[in-house]
Amino acid sequence: MNSTRDILLDWRLHVSVLVITIIAEAIGIRKVEIGIGAILFLPLLYAFVLGLAVNPNVVKAARAWMGQREVRAASPMIVIAIMPFIAKFGTIIGPSMEQIVAAGPALILQELGNLGTVILAFPVAVLVLGLGREAIGATFSVAREPNIAIIADKYGLKSPEGAGVMGVYVIGTLFGTFIFAILASLLSTSGLFSVEALAMACGVGSGSMMAACTGALVHSVPEMEEQILALAGASNVLTYATGLYMCIFVALPLTEKLYAIFGRKAATPTATRE
Amino acid sequence: MSATDIPVDHEADPKPNIAQHAILLLAVCVIGLIGNTVATENTLLEGAAGLAVLYVISMIGLVLTNYVPFKLPSVAWISLVGIIATLPWTPGSPWVLDKVSHVNFLTLATPCLAYAGIAITGREIEIAKHSGWKIFIVAVLVMTGTYLGSAIVADLFL
Repeated sequence: MNSTRDILLDWRLHVSVLVITIIAEAIGIRKVEIGIGAILFLPLLYAFVLGLAVNPNVVKAARAWMGQREVRAASPMIVIAIMPFIAKFGTIIGPSMEQIVAAGPALILQELGNLGTVILAFPVAVLVLGLGREAIGATFSVAREPNIAIIADKYGLKSPEGAGVMGVYVIGTLFGTFIFAILASLLSTSGLFSVEALAMACGVGSGSMMAACTGALVHSVPEMEEQILALAGASNVLTYATGLYMCIFVALPLTEKLYAIFGRKAATPTATRE
Repeated sequence: MSATDIPVDHEADPKPNIAQHAILLLAVCVIGLIGNTVATENTLLEGAAGLAVLYVISMIGLVLTNYVPFKLPSVAWISLVGIIATLPWTPGSPWVLDKVSHVNFLTLATPCLAYAGIAITGREIEIAKHSGWKIFIVAVLVMTGTYLGSAIVADLFL
């Protein structure tokens, strides 16, 4: 995308997205009951799958319609396409400012809960699955773009740590929205947590994951829509603001320390340093 | 494999400038408007007014991202503008709220995910295949961990 004219040449990309959006919204929200709760299928999930279906890297037949040019052009569009959504979220937070201030301490402290990545995933990665230093990059954060930047800066992306963060980033990109939609619908129907807590937890610092998470939550508890969206949005903004520092000063040193204690000393065969 | 194939290295891609952003954002809003009309009971006109307001908020956020000396991601600025525009004591906030109330929040995320699906590169598919099932398990635990962790802490302090 070097000139404004180039943008117009990407029309196949935008037409595809328009058609996908219409199809996804026409299908609408579907609910599937399973034993412990219900899983929601949201239009944004269908949109992702349909996007993959016309991606020439995924479905060979799609090459007749679009090529690498459109794939490259789609990447910066992700951030632009989330902007109206983020703006709408801002307009949900504003009117609820008093409630958010009232929830302030919980809202700020739940940022510490993001260390749950290390607590839950690190032991399994190192002790059960036997990963090497990949485990550091893989488990210190939710592996979104700012977190990759930290690893790239400290270890380089070709290092084992880099392989770890990239692996989780890619899985998160492919399945993150599904995983968060499933988590939110299961936990909200389980009754283990208050809806406000689940809403705050949705703000993980990724617009699309928050969308899937809050969408599922709102559908389960529609009468609390305003509150859910306000708390999730506030938590997400807070994660954008604090996440980087939390990772640099707390999560990454903690993961390094844990690896020094539990990790194996030899480099792994799959990703050696040299 | 050239540098532009590295999926997350968005810095390496030439970034759209403000004028290009303005055009691309308009395209996204038109797609969002059609999605909103399909998904909700709101008329095309009501949705258009709402999206016009959201477009202005996003553009103000983008301008701030470019010209404010300290660096925050554009999405942080945009949400901040959205918050300030709708605070109860901001003049005109009821008008803004009335306009944007005709736009469904979840529908606005649908085009974004469609772009995300199309943006998956061959290299990303390779990484997913190469990293295999172990990284998949770790990734699921990472996402479950951050969600559960935040929910538990929030629940304790509410």
